[in-house]
Amino acid sequence: MRLRLVDSGPAPGALNMGIDEAVLRAVAGGSSPPTLRLYSWSPACVTVGYFQSLEDEVDLEACRAAGVDAVRRITGGGAVFHEAEITYSIVLPEGHPLAPAGILESYELLCGGLVAGLGLLGVEAAFEPINDIRAGGRKVSGNAQTRKLGCLLQHGTVLLGLDLEKMFSLLKVPKEKLAGKLIAQAKERVTSLGSLLGREPGYAEAARALAAGFAAAYGPRGVELERGELRADELAEGRRIAAEKFSSEAWNRRR
Amino acid sequence: MIVRMDRKPAGGKLLRIELEAEEGRVLRARVRGDFFAHPEELFEAAEAELAGTELARASETALGLFSRPGLVLYGASAAGIAEALGEAARALAAR
Repeated sequence: MRLRLVDSGPAPGALNMGIDEAVLRAVAGGSSPPTLRLYSWSPACVTVGYFQSLEDEVDLEACRAAGVDAVRRITGGGAVFHEAEITYSIVLPEGHPLAPAGILESYELLCGGLVAGLGLLGVEAAFEPINDIRAGGRKVSGNAQTRKLGCLLQHGTVLLGLDLEKMFSLLKVPKEKLAGKLIAQAKERVTSLGSLLGREPGYAEAARALAAGFAAAYGPRGVELERGELRADELAEGRRIAAEKFSSEAWNRRR
Repeated sequence: MIVRMDRKPAGGKLLRIELEAEEGRVLRARVRGDFFAHPEELFEAAEAELAGTELARASETALGLFSRPGLVLYGASAAGIAEALGEAARALAAR
């Protein structure tokens, strides 16, 4: 069974979320094969989970001043600052060998590709339920999943570098907590490939390793990765969804 | 009347509750947070169906709505949501 592997590189947050949804719709409609996409963010972006309020979680004024986008995701979970990272999304129809019915089971199965890819970079990592990957006792990857239109969509990030001062300057944090204390606490919980390896790998190096890791982890399930591109109509649909949904106040401020 | 409160039920993530009421009944309920609910639309349907409930019964009704078959929650529970909404409802009723 083939899994299309697309490396679409950097894009703004609304377009990244628009392409994820466009691919989901195309796979659901049968016009696109199951797809694994690697990408990054330019400009940097804060995303919030489906059930979060953008206004509650994000200092939108600080984001504007810093040239950072802010977008609400179609997946649950928390606020994420996307800057020095590599992101993936995978879209599979229900019944696919990599899409078991159980949500927790599918997180573990799909994250196996990331764990293998991190291993190829020299990082010993392990999946931690519900949806994290940890290395050196700290979180290095967060993942989120939704199921819609008879498909599973999971996306997640691996941190290449980590600028906690910048991250906390963009998020709204409880007033009673001091920024310094929050940063110290976060340093205990979160890490990046840069910290783990003593050097920050670039996107291209991380993309190569993750692609090889996904291939190694999914091969035994009878899934073979095949390099491909987004079709022009998928990209056009992604742009449309980005403009009409993920750039709109109606979507981003709905909750 | 509207009340907003943050509550962290035992074993769950922080819930940001917004409850609006009129004449002793729920007008609108929002349960926000970094939890996961599958499918998302069923969670929002449960929020919408709380409208019209007497404040005194908000917690009990929420428990039923958020524990409906087919709705799967991670990082939150129907009991935790019901408890938080109940507290918000009591705060509104006391005004």
